[in-house]
Amino acid sequence: MACPFPYTYVSCPCADTPIPDPARKRRSRESPQKSTPERTNASSGQDTQEVKPPHTQDEQDEEEEEEQTFDPRSPRSNFSLYPPEQLLYCEDCHQIKCPRCITEEIVSWYCPNCLFETPSSMVRGDANRCGRNCFNCPVCTAPLSVSTIENVTGNGNQQGPWVLSCGYCLWTTLDIGIKFDKPTNIRNQLQKMTDSLSGPAFDTRSRQGSRAFGDLKSPLSNLASIEEPATTQDGAEARFATLKNFYRSQISETSTSPSDPMGSDFGFSSPGALNRLMSLYASSSRLSGLYGGNKKQKPKPPVMREAINASEGLRIASEDGDASIIERLASPDCGWDGVASLSQRTEQSPDVRFSHDLLPLPVLLRTKRAKRCKSCKHILVKPETKPQSTRFRIRLIALSYIPLPTLRPLTLPSSSLVPSPAPDLNALAPLRPVHVLLTLKNHMFDPVRITLATPSVTPGRVASKVTVLSPQFDIGPNSDVWDEALQGASAPITTDPRLRAAEKVPEAGKVWDKGRNWTTVVLEVVPGTLPGSEAEGGKEGADEDELAVASQQDEDVLEIPVFVHMEWDAEAQLEQQNVGKEAKPGDLVARELAYWMVLGVGRITASL
Amino acid sequence: MSATSNLRHSQTARPSSPHTPQQPLRSANTSFASASSPGSSFRNEDDAIIFEIGARCLRAGFEGNGTPVCVKRFGPEEMRRAADYRGWIHGDIGAGPLPKPVNAEDWVRDYELWQPDLKNVDLGLVEDKIERVFRETYNQYLLTDAGTSRLVLALPALMPHPLLSSLLSIIFGRWRFPSITLLPSATMSTTAAGLRSALVVDLGWAETTVTGIYEYREAVTKRSTRAMRALMLETGRFLTRLASGNDNDEGKEDDDKEESSDGDISVGFTYCEEVVSKFAWCRQQAEAPDTQTATDQTISIPSPKNPEHEYRDLPLSDMAKSVEKVMLAPDVPECDLDDEEKSIPLLVYNSLLSLPPDARGTCMARIVFVGGGARIPGLRQRILKEVRLLIARHGWSPIRGKVVERQRQRLEEMKITSQTNSHSQSPDNIPAGTTDDEKEKSDPSKEEPEVDFVDQKLRRQNKDTPLPIQGILREVESLGPWAGASLVTSLKIRGTVEIEREKFLQYGLAGATRDLEQPVPDRRSGLRAGDRSSWTLAGWA
Repeated sequence: MACPFPYTYVSCPCADTPIPDPARKRRSRESPQKSTPERTNASSGQDTQEVKPPHTQDEQDEEEEEEQTFDPRSPRSNFSLYPPEQLLYCEDCHQIKCPRCITEEIVSWYCPNCLFETPSSMVRGDANRCGRNCFNCPVCTAPLSVSTIENVTGNGNQQGPWVLSCGYCLWTTLDIGIKFDKPTNIRNQLQKMTDSLSGPAFDTRSRQGSRAFGDLKSPLSNLASIEEPATTQDGAEARFATLKNFYRSQISETSTSPSDPMGSDFGFSSPGALNRLMSLYASSSRLSGLYGGNKKQKPKPPVMREAINASEGLRIASEDGDASIIERLASPDCGWDGVASLSQRTEQSPDVRFSHDLLPLPVLLRTKRAKRCKSCKHILVKPETKPQSTRFRIRLIALSYIPLPTLRPLTLPSSSLVPSPAPDLNALAPLRPVHVLLTLKNHMFDPVRITLATPSVTPGRVASKVTVLSPQFDIGPNSDVWDEALQGASAPITTDPRLRAAEKVPEAGKVWDKGRNWTTVVLEVVPGTLPGSEAEGGKEGADEDELAVASQQDEDVLEIPVFVHMEWDAEAQLEQQNVGKEAKPGDLVARELAYWMVLGVGRITASL
Repeated sequence: MSATSNLRHSQTARPSSPHTPQQPLRSANTSFASASSPGSSFRNEDDAIIFEIGARCLRAGFEGNGTPVCVKRFGPEEMRRAADYRGWIHGDIGAGPLPKPVNAEDWVRDYELWQPDLKNVDLGLVEDKIERVFRETYNQYLLTDAGTSRLVLALPALMPHPLLSSLLSIIFGRWRFPSITLLPSATMSTTAAGLRSALVVDLGWAETTVTGIYEYREAVTKRSTRAMRALMLETGRFLTRLASGNDNDEGKEDDDKEESSDGDISVGFTYCEEVVSKFAWCRQQAEAPDTQTATDQTISIPSPKNPEHEYRDLPLSDMAKSVEKVMLAPDVPECDLDDEEKSIPLLVYNSLLSLPPDARGTCMARIVFVGGGARIPGLRQRILKEVRLLIARHGWSPIRGKVVERQRQRLEEMKITSQTNSHSQSPDNIPAGTTDDEKEKSDPSKEEPEVDFVDQKLRRQNKDTPLPIQGILREVESLGPWAGASLVTSLKIRGTVEIEREKFLQYGLAGATRDLEQPVPDRRSGLRAGDRSSWTLAGWA
């Protein structure tokens, strides 16, 4: 798919154990017959535990699901397939862990641009963005650099005014009429300018720069920026703050004490704090309401009213509010690029419509996160706090535990001595057998027994036949590299692989090749025919459209689901030992792990 | 359907067990903190996270912020495997035309999180998508640990139960959120406009919802499929025709092609969405296009055939045509419209009509447009204009038609004759509505409101509060449901629907009480509402 062929993906086993929906389970159980209270109790008990009676519908469903082969084509499998190097492994659960079955804790926040760490107390205040001079271009998202205008003319001394400019699309803040007095603390300077957007001073002051540069080319845009009443220029944030203040004052007016609506009845002109103190000692309002509080409650507490003017956050839409927008849309100097695109707008304030309104974006912070297993809470990954450091204190990656699968095509020698070229994996001919070599490399210090299983025909519309020539084999331990070198000088590695390949023929039941901690087996694949291709029904001329659709939906990609079952004897760890019994550290525990793997072999072409 | 958040502080004096003074103490503390210091941001770790989830996009951010931290759209890129970076190959406007025209339903399917019709929705897939988008939002934008703080979801008031159940169980099952509060988006839009009552017109993706909110309660809801999805399909067909028109210059052939592949779309979805978001607009007036200066302008958009390299000129008015056709249905008589596809002005008018007169007067002066369609320039004004026309034509009487008209004329004749016969009968005695003459049933907003003594008394009582504006059509701008939810949450107002983790995990949605007379909890937070042994789904039940 995205990666060049061939590639391997591993499906996290968490996909088989979905998060149960308590209601759904209940519903399915209750639907056959009306539930008695006793029955509901019983079923709820079963829900909390995960033990289910074997005769229920759910169990049957799940059994069926387990029987099913993994379909790499189903849209859901996209969410459980990961490249093997992205997976983690929990040593306590003895299970592969994908990003879906871990929980994350943030260790530190940093700006990916300047690599400065942001203290956690400042992250929210900076709106999760870098508070320094790091900005991204609002048009193309490339990083912006601070430069002076004079610099362009070759003047050596660095003097203002300063602008932010994009090295990729050549956008500068001059395009939106913003200049900075200092090259430092740009974020604060920008903040001040955008805050003044909200006031009526915006037109006269902040945009002065743009006027000076004659940037307002069209009289229309000039018109638009002036004619809009000041109220509609309030940013969303400003209006939100106004509304919040209004509601807050309303709440405090209508009820001096939240739990005591009679606070106002006492008629204290004192601040609300006194009332609140008083209400502590006064009997509870509810009690007084119960015992003849009806007399006191006669003057009802004033009802919170709605906002009635702009100072309270009400904004009446102007009658012809959008006319200027439409005019601007139609004006010739707006054009396609004059309107902000969807992706440009998502990061901006919701009112932004034209690219002239786009503001430079402070760089989003990133986090270093520790990861824990979701079920046992053991730490799987713990990075070092410093942003500059790429090291980890703890990192349990799955590849240390599961064999690394690699795939390559087998170049079978033709009758002559010249080896035939490797098959083009991007254009596999249908119905022509291909041999691929699957190498599994063990990173554990224990030998591993592997059993591979694959459906004989791949799922999906394009049915390819797959045979694993030797589905059961062992992989040696990841022992010291020198062991091997010392043990056998006549190890097969020393021989020329090409020569060996020339002698060898893939044989059923035989491992292709074997090394210190790796084993290679052969898969024989007969790619199926694409729907609508000439190979399928002998139709004259392939249906181009159909093929294009198939290609778009990746139907022509030959992916083989392989079920891997591995067994090994691990040394018992301390946690596994029974506390009471004396267990020797040399005790061996049989372990097994099973998961689905997807091998992407190549793309099938339409023609034979 | 009752609204779930009632801001009015009407403490019902309910008989309850005696409380120790500790409870007021705690609540007093929190209210002190929230009322006196506006910057209650000292308590960062307690800030609730607010998510607004729709079929097309998700907004997320912190309570007390005016704008969400991020807006994420759903699309096929979000469905790719890890380490599959093909989506980056194409720019903003997508991969160009599709190899083969596809059915309109298939065209949009990958871009929706869910469809309103759950028959064909794989809920497991929806859960996968929600899980991934939540995780990514937390890791990329919110930058806090998921599951530590409260979660507030602003949801449309009508959510299919399986979907709601999936949503909640994936969130509760995946992370350790202590509780999830559900807030209805229409009421939140009202709050974000600073109002207590409003007619919220949500020009959303799958359907347009018109919700009459009166005193924070949902009074009426009407919906129509004329929404952004339909607009997108219409524009997609239009661009497809444009592309195929490029193909063969012969007009006749063009028509044939149109007919054969009517409904199928061959342009890319992202491209089409980009065009709609940039250039969709609506005329302010139905007729007289010569008055508009913008109509004869042409714009150049990337060619639907080859969007990466070519441009194509297009009259701007073409874009307005599809908007009008979808949203306003100008050429279709009302009787031909199905119940589910009433035009938006008609929908607004009908909703107002079905409101009680008091609520109608209040709501019609507070019309709030939210949703993606509210961004289309000119559309809101146009809808209001059409509604005004409808009011002028029909008044506020739901009875119309030829027979009714005849009946009315006959009654009028009778009235005239009876008046000439005997003057003793005053016209007031004749029931209104049936014998209203033309002048009377003109715009009621222009009439001098009848002053009755209760009104006068009420007005005398609260002199300082200004008279609410009533009876005129007026549009009020709202900050949207997300901002409303943020506002409400930051004011420490508790929603009625607060689902606690343990309770949900035990029983799921079925654990909610159907009891509509749920005791109103203390909405100020801090107070954990006593022991809330049961929870309700309120409007979502």
